[in-house]
This record gives sequence, structure tokens and C-alpha cells, in this order.
Amino acid sequence: MNFDFSDEQEQLRDALRRWVDKSYTFERRRAIVKGGGFDTTAWEELAGLGLTGLMVPTAHGGLGFGPVDAMVVMEELGRGLVLEPFAAVALVATQLLAEARTPVAATWLQRLAEGSTRVVLAQQERGTRYELAHVRTRAESSSDSSSGGQWVLSGHKSLVPAGAHAGAFVVPARVRGEPDDPDGIGLFLVEAGSPGVATRPYALQDSSAAADLSLARAAAIELLPPGEAFSALETAVDTGLAALCAEAVGVMDQLMAVTVEYMNTRKQFGATLASFQALRHRVADMKMQLELGRSMSYYATLRLGDAPAQRRRAVSQAKVQLGQSMRFVGQQAIQLHGGIGVTDEYIASHYFKRLTCIELSFGDTLHHLGEVAGRMQDTAGVFA
Amino acid sequence: MDLNFTEAEREFRLQIRHWVAENLPREISRKVHESLHLTRDDMQRWARLLGSKGWLGWGWPKEFGGPGWNAVERHLFEEECALAGAPRVIPFGPVMVAPVIMAFGTPEQHKRFLPGIASGDVWWSQGYSEPGAGSDLASLKTRAERRGDYYIVNGQKTWTTLAQYGDWIFCLVRTGIDVKAQAGISFLLIDLKSPGITVRPIVMLDGETEVNEVFFDNVEVPADQLIGEENKGWTYAKYLLAHERTNIADVNRAKRELERLKRIARAEGLYEEPRFRDQIALLEVDVVALEMMVLRVLSAERAGKKALDVAALLKIRGSEIQQRYSELMMLAAGPYALPFVREAMEAGWQGEHVGAAHCAPLAATYFNLRKTTIYGGSNEVQRNIVAQTVLGS
Repeated sequence: MNFDFSDEQEQLRDALRRWVDKSYTFERRRAIVKGGGFDTTAWEELAGLGLTGLMVPTAHGGLGFGPVDAMVVMEELGRGLVLEPFAAVALVATQLLAEARTPVAATWLQRLAEGSTRVVLAQQERGTRYELAHVRTRAESSSDSSSGGQWVLSGHKSLVPAGAHAGAFVVPARVRGEPDDPDGIGLFLVEAGSPGVATRPYALQDSSAAADLSLARAAAIELLPPGEAFSALETAVDTGLAALCAEAVGVMDQLMAVTVEYMNTRKQFGATLASFQALRHRVADMKMQLELGRSMSYYATLRLGDAPAQRRRAVSQAKVQLGQSMRFVGQQAIQLHGGIGVTDEYIASHYFKRLTCIELSFGDTLHHLGEVAGRMQDTAGVFA
Repeated sequence: MDLNFTEAEREFRLQIRHWVAENLPREISRKVHESLHLTRDDMQRWARLLGSKGWLGWGWPKEFGGPGWNAVERHLFEEECALAGAPRVIPFGPVMVAPVIMAFGTPEQHKRFLPGIASGDVWWSQGYSEPGAGSDLASLKTRAERRGDYYIVNGQKTWTTLAQYGDWIFCLVRTGIDVKAQAGISFLLIDLKSPGITVRPIVMLDGETEVNEVFFDNVEVPADQLIGEENKGWTYAKYLLAHERTNIADVNRAKRELERLKRIARAEGLYEEPRFRDQIALLEVDVVALEMMVLRVLSAERAGKKALDVAALLKIRGSEIQQRYSELMMLAAGPYALPFVREAMEAGWQGEHVGAAHCAPLAATYFNLRKTTIYGGSNEVQRNIVAQTVLGS
């Protein structure tokens, strides 16, 4: 048992932190937001740091790194409020492509490592909330060989990360069964721009780019068949959840730092805010939530390699803790800033909005509390 | 990063588990598991069993007869004892005063006091708080005046845990006046059988007498029972506080009690009831998060790195969790937590319970554990410490 980062991981952290501090400034971020919340140049810079190939197997031109490395990266991207969909592409979609055995997946992995394009998971459907098994998008095997794929997909997906900037989508679609049957779901690859594929872009509350994806008999290649697809999807979403937890830790770290700085400079009643005990105790409570959150972020990441039942339980426990931590730290940081905290001009509100978006992604606190309650054992604790 | 204990640590854990299973008397662990009343003899019996194995001073270095375990091994030992239902070791001797005697005492004091602590034969109490000195401990007023080879002690201590059973007490006393509050304090070891000492139990909200007032009326204390230098006692007391970092969270006990909460909820037909079950699930997350925080500290300590500055956080969170599980157990019992039948909290009582037997001690435990956010530096004082660290001023 140890919680030390390796020298390589510390170097990775330093390199990314330098990039964020020097290149991904708040001013640049503001310009990216004006341009729609995604910047190809920034993505290429991440690729230049080797990050887009972080989890791509070395055989496909990536670094083949592991979950702890990903956690380090996510903490730093959180600190920098980076808008580009690193976790969605380089962790979640990459993991799903790496599971697939088709040569097409290998080609796309190579491109991801190069940073020349993006693949994202298009999973969310209306009316399904956070239930991964609830999939209405249909997959039919195609009789028309000229369509270029063996399958055609029809349906509608929402909230696809940077959907208008993706070269392809990993799409869970129903091959058979009732709308909530996990065993009837397959995973497919759909290329952007092919006939029957349409995206409608919009911004999310944190100014990042998202899109709706419409599929009207769109050509698709099967990545994983029913029976294998759903467990792979769950695994990838858990990877995404652990990444969100780590990102949240980075966001909260930085939000705490700006709050502390503000409290030590802002004066009212002739004294710094930091001198008022009511506010000092609030800061102590925020620190508590931050450290509990950091502890559970580690926990989620370190359990990613476990058997599915343990992994899912740990990840849900972590999301419950992070959900509470994010809401408390976010809301109180705004409160401690006073009026400046609720402006767009100052950075605190942007951290707060990102934290809020993280809570509502891949299952909110109540959803995961239900998961924890449903998966409770007679024993208790980290090693239960 | 690695969440798993090493092979050697797992082996170590099994050895402890085996020994505890062999040696912890069943009638004692049953009382602990069911929150029944523990007698002085129960507590001292377990202390002496540990003492005979050389484990009562489980945090002691080898040169003083301890096992020389590292932070992780100490944690594993504490965990195995807690999960098996061992009574909490009364910490005042082996955990609190012994390290101070080792660090600041003379060789004569080592020889005189440490063996009795290590064996569990001598019961120590802690004389810190006073009626006018609670959170503001440095304002304590109990006086010790040097007269030849003796100190003459006058004053009053309070909230002295189990002093009615105590043989000795270590006290913070005022030796210097007209100096800054902390500067005039000395650390004195006092025989509780000395003439002039009166111990008066205080009846607490749960009906028990867990703490006492201790009065000192011209008590003669030989000067060779002073630890270190006169007026340096505050430094030694702070050393003592810094000594215990993770144990303060009591996370092992929290795990045991969370398991018990689940059993009680199941017996009361609440385990499948979503409103109640969600509360247990929230507590489960709290306990895992606390344990992870403890493990992070242990990992840093074992590596000899500067430990994370989270001792105050561990105290706050650990105490809140203790209060929460006791609250949920009481709520699980519902109306059958209401009867106050003292005998029903004694092991082996043959009378007729009003509700299920497991309901009898739940309210008393809930009431008792309100102390946890007050003692050892109230949680508000702990928040001051955290804020100081975070804000840097």
C-alpha cells in the first residue's frame, strides 16, 4: 500500500502544469469559448505532449500508460479548466477502441495517438437519465454492401462531447431485445460526415462544446457484439468516472487556492476576510471535503483494475463523495468571494460551473448513492 | 500507487488476528460487539493480556521494550483488535504518557514508570482540563509550588476519564506565574493515592460515571516526579498531541460499528427500506473516505515523508462518523431505543427486555458519543487549526 507518485508521473504532472500555466491561460480559454469551446490547436498541443496517445497501446503508436497516469493528467487538466474533451477521447473512447478486434479500430487508435482527429462515445439518449442499458438507437445488419459498413444505425444521441469536432463516434445501439436489455446492445463505429450522420452543436454550462448526433440509416462498423459490448461500455464509463473524479480534485484544488488568495487580500470592516472565524471555519470544511474527495479519487482509480462488481461499487462510492465535495467546495467558494464570485469576468464562477457539470455527468450523486446502496456488503471499509 | 498491503503486511495481519482470536476472552468481545457495560476488570484484563505479549505499548520502539512496529503495522494491529471486538486500550498510560516519559524523562523515571505501563498493572489518568480551562487549556490554574524536594499541588482537574480506577495521573500544573500562559506550565506525575487527593465521579447524560473531578488539596509530590524541566510542560504536552496522528480517527471501530448498524437495520426490517438504506450507504461512503485518508497518512509516515497535515481533519471526521453511526443505530431501534433499563446493558442480565435485546444500549451509546466532538480539542478548535494551515495565517 502506497500513495506515492513515481518520478515519471511527477514529470508528467510538471510538464502538463507548465503547459497549462504558460499556454492555456484564462485569456486564451476565453477566446476558445468565443470560438465555440473547442480549439484544434490546443488539441494538437496536447498531442505534442504525447497525451492523446496516453492510453493507446504502444503497438498502435501510443504510450500505453495506466490509470494512475491518467489520474495525474486529469487533475492538471482540471486545474487548467481545459475545455477540450481529453477524457472523452483519450480515455473513454480509446479504451473502447482498444477492446475491439477489428482492424478499423487499430487505424483509429493510430490517428488518436497522432492527435490528428478525435473519436468520442455517443451514449446519452433522451429519457434514459443515467441508465447505460437503456438504448433505443437501432442497429440492423445491412444488406447494402455499397454503404461501406456491415451495419446501419438509426437513432438520436445527445450531449456528445465536442461532437462537431469528432472524426468518428463510438455508438451503443440495440441489435435486439427490450429498450433496457443490456445483452442486446452492440458497440459500433460511425464516421462523421458519412451519409445519414448529422450533428447539431451547442455549448454546455461550462462553455465546453457538445452536440446532438442524428443517425438515419448511417453506415457503421461493429466494434463489439452484444454480450461483450455492454460490459466493455460499463468499464469505459467507469474509467470516465474515475477521470471526472480526478479532474474535480484538480478544479477544487485551484478553486481553493484562488479563494484563499482572495480571503487574504480582500478587506471588509478593516480586516481581511481571512480574519473572520465564521469564514475560517467554512474554509476548514472546504478543505475537509477536498481531502475526502482526493482520497476517493485515488480509491476509484486504484480500483479500476478490479473485478466488475468491486470496481463499480468503488467508482460509485467515489462519485458520491466527489459529488458532495464538489457541490460544497463550489458553492462555498462562490459565497466566500461575495459579489465577484457570481460574475463571468472572474475565474471562480467558471470553476464552479465545471464542477457542476462534472456532478451531472455519468451519474449524479443520487444516482450513484442508489448504486452504493444496491451494492452494499455486510462488511465495510476500503477492503470490504 | 498501490492500494494493496504487501505480502509481509498481510502475513503480519494474520499473525495478529490469530493471536487475538486465541487470547481475547469471548465474554469481553461479546460486550464490546453489543455495547454492553465493560467493568474495570474487563478493561484491565485485556490490557494485561496485551502486556504479557509485549503489545500493550504497541507503538513503542524496541529500546523501551516495544515491538518497534512501523505506522502501517501499528494500524493493522489496531484494526485487528477493533474488528475482533477488543476493548479500546485506555490510552493514557501506553499511548499518551509513556512516549513523553521516554522522550523527556530521566533513566530513573524510565525504570520506575515504564514497566508498570507496559504490563498493564498501573492504570494512568490524564489531568489536563480544569473547570476554567477547556479548549483554552493553557489558562489552567492548578498550582504546583516547589518546597525543597517536593511540589505542593493545589487545584482541581475535571473530565478526568476513569480516574476512579486510576493509580497515577499525569498533570499539567502551573509553576510559573507572571509569564505568558504557556510558559509557566510543568508536567508532573502524581500518585492518585497521595493524601489530599479527592476523586469525585461525574454522572453523565447516559447515566454513567465515565469521568471525574479530581481535587488537589496541598498534595505533596516528590520533585523527582517532574518530567523534564520546570515550565516546559506545554512543549511536552504538544509533543504528545503530535504523537498520535491516525489513531484519533478511530476508523477501525467505525468499520466494526457500521457492520453492526447493518445487522441492526436488518433485524429491525429497515435494511431494504430505501430511505433508511440510503443513510447507511452515505455513511459507508464516509467511512471508506475516512479510511482512505488514514491510509494516505500511514503511507506517508511509513515512507518517512512529512506526514500530510490532516490530523485535525481526521479528528473532526472520525468523531462525526462515530456520532452518526450511533445516531442511525438508535433511529433503527425506533421507539424501542426509549426504555432506560440500566441492567439491560449488563452482560448476562436475565430480566425481560422491553424490545429486542440489541436495542437496550443504543440510546445510551448515542448520548455517550456526543463527547467525541468535544474532547481532545473540540471540533471547532480543530477547524481553527485546519484554517490556520490552509490560510497560512
